[in-house]
Amino acid sequence: MAKSTARKEKVDSMTSASKKQNGAIYIYGIVPADVEVSPDARGVDGTDDGITLVEHGEIAALVSEIDADLTLGTPDSLMAHEEFLDATAAEVPVLPLRFGAVMTTREAVVDELLTPYHDQFHAALEELDGHAQFVVRGRYAEQPMLFAILEENPEVAQLADEIRDLPEETTRNERIQLGELINQAVAARREADTESFVETLEPLSVHVSVREPTHERDAAYVALLVDLDRQSELEKAVKDLAEQNADLMEVTLRGPMASYDFVMTARQDTERWD
Amino acid sequence: MTVQSASGGVTQRSSSSSLADVIDSILDKGLVIDAYVRVSLVGIEILTIDVRIVVASVDTYLRFAEAVNRLDLTQTGKQQGLPEIMQNMTKDTASGKAKGAVQGVLDAAGEKLRGIGGDRSEKEEPARRRGKEEE
Repeated sequence: MAKSTARKEKVDSMTSASKKQNGAIYIYGIVPADVEVSPDARGVDGTDDGITLVEHGEIAALVSEIDADLTLGTPDSLMAHEEFLDATAAEVPVLPLRFGAVMTTREAVVDELLTPYHDQFHAALEELDGHAQFVVRGRYAEQPMLFAILEENPEVAQLADEIRDLPEETTRNERIQLGELINQAVAARREADTESFVETLEPLSVHVSVREPTHERDAAYVALLVDLDRQSELEKAVKDLAEQNADLMEVTLRGPMASYDFVMTARQDTERWD
Repeated sequence: MTVQSASGGVTQRSSSSSLADVIDSILDKGLVIDAYVRVSLVGIEILTIDVRIVVASVDTYLRFAEAVNRLDLTQTGKQQGLPEIMQNMTKDTASGKAKGAVQGVLDAAGEKLRGIGGDRSEKEEPARRRGKEEE
């Protein structure tokens, strides 16, 4: 993957204007205006046509010109969106847009997005400068997790014993009940482990945001906004967490990445958060 | 270039995020464009699948029950004692053998997405099929 964005002198961002018929402007995120985009950054449309800047004042939008008939949402386009933003976030502050933001023209990006919200975006970028997001995830290994649950919940172990050798067809309700009890036990462990992760990682972070689990064996899923100067401290802390929990779960750390979990849409009347 | 931070006791990953990880970040997080812009939006068709798993579904329960049923309790017996088993399990886990008999809904969804868009599959967590690694 190409190095995406580095702070440098301006580039001429208007040279490739509207060369596509039925073109549209895909927007990745907002950055300070004094950044430079690598010419070989790969865009969401899978072409090497380049990701460019639309500038206004002290801020700029990272954009690709795409065909308006393009269907987005393939794995390639999802990966391209995140890879580019994450690579950018490692170098400069960036406000990531949710996947799928498309406007009609570069002029519209300036007039409707960058101009009216210039000060708000600029202030957020200043605040974000020198920071990036990291995501820590713990996921239980299945068998150790189940053994631990059976060990500490005798009634679950007993139910499992009772139906073990009975045919599935006649014990469906019992199996559902067994699974539900296990799920409750997993949820209780998840809550405790998440709390312990947060307690350990909070002192290293500017902000912490607990993510909803997206896998039934998630043990903890936490997004952190971290000063990039403290990255190695964070890595050490996560490594220690991984070692302490090695018998039950795998722990992964991803980042630096764009601050998806920490950018907020400020205007209340348009609040879209669920 | 994305710098991966995983090292040491942390699980090593390939240099790119998995598709499931990406979906967790960019489909429902980040700034929402239409909170800012109303006039010049282009409605582009987006193929997305609602991948937010229902953590507490009957499917999940049945999978857990099946997984418990598959546990080799004779090996554990009440004779061997749990700590010892856990040690064995840990070794297995470290070498990847004890992992992933049950795959989550997300992996399945990831597969669907791959189906739509081609052959990234090698770069992401390979979806392991249930039962393949049973002993």
